[in-house]
Amino acid sequence: MRRLSGPRFAVTLAALLTAAVATGVLVGPSFLSPGEVLGALLGRGDPSATAIVWSLRLPRVALGLLVGGVLAVAGASLQVLVRNPLADPYLLGLSGGAGLGAVLAMAAGLASPWAVPAAAFGGALLAMAAVYRLAAVAGGALDGRVLVLAGVVVGAFAGALVSGILAVTDAQGARSAMLWLMGGFGGAGWGTVAVLAVYAAPALVVLVAEARALNLLALGEEPAQYLGTDVVRTKRRVYLAASLLAAAAVAAAGIIGFVGLVVPHAIRLLRGHDHRGILPAAFVTGGALLVFADAGARTAFAPVELPVGVVTALLGVPVFALLLRRWTARSSS
Amino acid sequence: MAARRLSFRHWLTLGIVVAPLAGCREHLPRSGPSAIDAWGRTVSLAAPARRIVSLSPSTTEIVFALGLGDRLVGRTRWCDYPAAARAVADVGDGIAPNVEAIAARRPDLVLLYASLSNRPAAQRLAALGIATAALALDRAEDVRTAARLVGALAGVKGAAASLVAAFDSARAGAARDAAATGGRRPRLYVHVWAEPPVTVGRGSYLAEILRDAGADNVFDDVPTSSATVSLESLARRDPDAIVVLTSDTLGAPPPLAARPPWRAVRAVREGRYLLLDGSLYGRPSPRMPLAVRDLAARLHHLPIR
Repeated sequence: MRRLSGPRFAVTLAALLTAAVATGVLVGPSFLSPGEVLGALLGRGDPSATAIVWSLRLPRVALGLLVGGVLAVAGASLQVLVRNPLADPYLLGLSGGAGLGAVLAMAAGLASPWAVPAAAFGGALLAMAAVYRLAAVAGGALDGRVLVLAGVVVGAFAGALVSGILAVTDAQGARSAMLWLMGGFGGAGWGTVAVLAVYAAPALVVLVAEARALNLLALGEEPAQYLGTDVVRTKRRVYLAASLLAAAAVAAAGIIGFVGLVVPHAIRLLRGHDHRGILPAAFVTGGALLVFADAGARTAFAPVELPVGVVTALLGVPVFALLLRRWTARSSS
Repeated sequence: MAARRLSFRHWLTLGIVVAPLAGCREHLPRSGPSAIDAWGRTVSLAAPARRIVSLSPSTTEIVFALGLGDRLVGRTRWCDYPAAARAVADVGDGIAPNVEAIAARRPDLVLLYASLSNRPAAQRLAALGIATAALALDRAEDVRTAARLVGALAGVKGAAASLVAAFDSARAGAARDAAATGGRRPRLYVHVWAEPPVTVGRGSYLAEILRDAGADNVFDDVPTSSATVSLESLARRDPDAIVVLTSDTLGAPPPLAARPPWRAVRAVREGRYLLLDGSLYGRPSPRMPLAVRDLAARLHHLPIR
């Protein structure tokens, strides 16, 4: 399979992004003509269409772009860090911690709209701290294998606590916590978008700044060390930044699987292994995939909404299978 | 010594108990009541049920409405109506119930909610020799089915028939009176959960009450009993009011307006809520006509755009 050259790849990404944003704004369970949408965007037209476009569709598109992008970048970085192609942003116990936080907030009967996302964020950060501590005890160098094991252990522990809480509390609240965790953009508002952007921006900058070090790290830790990388510092920074991204994404939209796992691999298949290119491309592709998926989730069974993770898998798996087949065919010939 | 005397008594007792039973066995199924439950099983009892455990608030209401309150020996912790139900022993939850707590009440009939997660409990009760009947209580029609089934198994078929007849005529009367008030039918949204937005579809009991009371559920095109819907559809359908069922933990309108996306819905912006008593509206029961009349009266005062 021929890899796309730099300029062509950039144009493809820009087209993908434009198509995603246009689809997200134009498509919805209630029919608005392109003229009505345009009118609403410009602040003209009837107030109901304006409310739908400005306070429902646009924040969903923005949140979809951010969450998808953040998950794809976090996944790409973690896959290098733990040297495991199966790594995804939730691997390191984060989803377990977020779930525990969300269920605790629901069980405590906290009614504020911010309580559950804040508790999920707190839970994910706690899980992250616990995994980091466990891995650090095993040696200062943050061994990838130990990180994965510690993540699984912390995730299992949080899962057990969640099951215990669900067993002894009121079923309705607990069920709702699970529903929230399944992920989606149904409650997306500009506030959520702003909070996620504030948390994500510094972490994204850190990861892009470490892109060259990630390239060296992908060769192996020893070669990276010989080639002048401070391996321990890089690993620590990448781990913390990627975990923060995943925790913020969980808090904003629940657990949306698949994007963080598959988008980085797809980009590597198309674009090679330079993370200075992979990370921005993964951000745009992950974001566009989630916006398309969300448009599908809103409209396929309208007025009923599907969990967006269902759609990401339905869209992403066939595309990825195709890429994988072409790639293996090429490398075996 | 003691052991030998005990064992002699033991055998004697057994003989006294078993001998007459052996004779009865053959015509038992014919003499005792039997009925087919919601799982399609034939439930047969040796005699009309005397000690009943009811594992859903709906069946508890039905048992009392049939005049069988004094035969109820166990109920769930959610059974709060009628007031006399609170005096009955509490056996905990109705879904995945505590079999040991139920068995301790020594019931001869356990009324289960027909949920798949109650199958294991039914099997374990059967292993203890306790009869169970599964009842689906999701729609108004189920109240009639349940009344007939409980009536048959408790040997009060006459009471069941008159309860069903009274239910039917009260329901028809309430719907007729609601329709007679005329005017435009209010369009209502039933709030179940905010994030994600969960509501009820036309397959729900609440939607039936709304229909009888002369209102339309804005998501009646959803065939299931409940579903996650998009806020955009809700904003577009622009309901006249948001219906909220109250509970022990919820006595005031939920803070939907505090969530920015919800503010795209006009009824949320304008604070148009209709708080309904969860105990009356939230479960299928013989009190349905009461709920219909109550709602119709309140809709009458609802300002309609």
